[in-house]
Amino acid sequence: MHDLSVRIGSLVLRNSIIAASGTFGFGQEYADLYDVSQLGAVCSKGLTLHPREGNPCPRLWETPCGLLNSIGLQNPGIDAFLRDELPRMISQGLVTIANVWAETPEDYAEAAERLSSSAVAAVELNVSCPNVSEAMLGQQTEAVARVVRETRKVCRKPLWVKLPPDAPLEVALAAEKEGVDAVCAVNTVRGLAIDIGERRPVFDRIFAGLSGPAIKPIALRVVYELAAALTIPVIGIGGIATWQDVVEFIMAGACAVQVGTAHFIDPLIGPRMIDGLFQYMEREGLSNWEEIRGCAHR
Amino acid sequence: MKNQQVAPGVFLLKAGGRFPAGPGQFYMLRSWDLDPLLSRPMSVFDRTDEGITFLYKVRGRGTDLLSRLLPGDELRLLGPLGNGWKQEGKRIALIGGGLGIAPLLYTAKVFNGVEIYLGFQGSPFLLEEFERVTNRVYVSSESGEGGRRGLVTEIFSPGGYDACYACGPRAMLATLSRICHGAKVPLFVSLEERMACGVGACLGCTVRMRSGTKRVCRDGPVFPAQEVLWDA
Repeated sequence: MHDLSVRIGSLVLRNSIIAASGTFGFGQEYADLYDVSQLGAVCSKGLTLHPREGNPCPRLWETPCGLLNSIGLQNPGIDAFLRDELPRMISQGLVTIANVWAETPEDYAEAAERLSSSAVAAVELNVSCPNVSEAMLGQQTEAVARVVRETRKVCRKPLWVKLPPDAPLEVALAAEKEGVDAVCAVNTVRGLAIDIGERRPVFDRIFAGLSGPAIKPIALRVVYELAAALTIPVIGIGGIATWQDVVEFIMAGACAVQVGTAHFIDPLIGPRMIDGLFQYMEREGLSNWEEIRGCAHR
Repeated sequence: MKNQQVAPGVFLLKAGGRFPAGPGQFYMLRSWDLDPLLSRPMSVFDRTDEGITFLYKVRGRGTDLLSRLLPGDELRLLGPLGNGWKQEGKRIALIGGGLGIAPLLYTAKVFNGVEIYLGFQGSPFLLEEFERVTNRVYVSSESGEGGRRGLVTEIFSPGGYDACYACGPRAMLATLSRICHGAKVPLFVSLEERMACGVGACLGCTVRMRSGTKRVCRDGPVFPAQEVLWDA
């Protein structure tokens, strides 16, 4: 018996593959291509209290094995999500994680409170979007602690916090102390591209978020460090493009992974990874992931 | 699989197999693993039950790799994608500038009653393909080779058409929008934007329109010209 399921605190997912926020919309586009309920879970596009138009074009820039994006959290707002998107996602059998961004701890709390009585499986606090404000909340220990503390008071759902790649370890430790259920690492790496013809940055907001296989070693290192330091689950994210990458993150100590940019390389990567992981378990004679999780630390 | 150079740096790539498509729709193409990271969006130049053809110019690593494909090589296709264009009315003008001629041939084959305006920078190419569909093909070139010297917007006039369909550089589309608006003839334009997913999930190709934000890959690539904010 090979059990692909994973446990993240109180939440059990049918497998370790979660679609990462911002790369999978609200699941509908990929639902045209395959049965997306095969995935462990789907993280919604980053949600804010009020609708946001996002940043002007260009929003994308390709780099070797990577992708810079500056989308800027274009989304219809939490109320429209609860009204229009979530019911459809639930009816399709998607385990839905609501990814939330706000400017202040109070707004995070208000957003999380509205989601608390909904059908979402968990709330992912995005304190690490590189494309919306100058201040990167996720690098500031006390700021993250306040966000978690305020949302914890009003939200009954499991709370995840999604960290930037350059957050000090203290940030994750503070989030754990304030009662977060899991840590997701890492969000995109802040990067820059310059148009040499125009002699100015490619993006309106100058910096953008780098994703894709180019950042995988960085993400894997961060997950390894977090898994050693925390007792709560770590969800790995960053450049994961193959089932072998997933196994690496599990061996580094991740409970589950999020897959983002890889959907753009191969829209069917989710089911392909699940298939590859099952065959790996069979070949290795594994009955569950706990047999190898974190084994790279030993 | 066959690659054929039709002008300096411009290729026709034909892949065997039965691939569906409507006029103005596109596919995402890749023939490589992780680098370049993304697939390349390309409108359908032509299709039959035996194969599908794409017209492209070598601009960077992706198109360079595509141009080196040989018979027997692997090409991965995702599509058909996008809304494409629907015939509205009986007398139709198709207007293409540069590589913007790409979606017009298959459209001309599917639509009825088309007249075609093609604008080139230098020497025109693939004219005989278009002339096989209709004898009403009007050609301009900036260099004056093989057509009237000037821009395609200078040889086109919307009078007498029920609807016009255009693809090409943004400045060309903006001019056509003004001309057609003045003549009260509907114009549908096919837009280009950098894309990642091609299916509407990543919001990378979102543009602001009069009626709000739209995804070029999913809500487009075809939009009514009056919807587009040309000065944006």
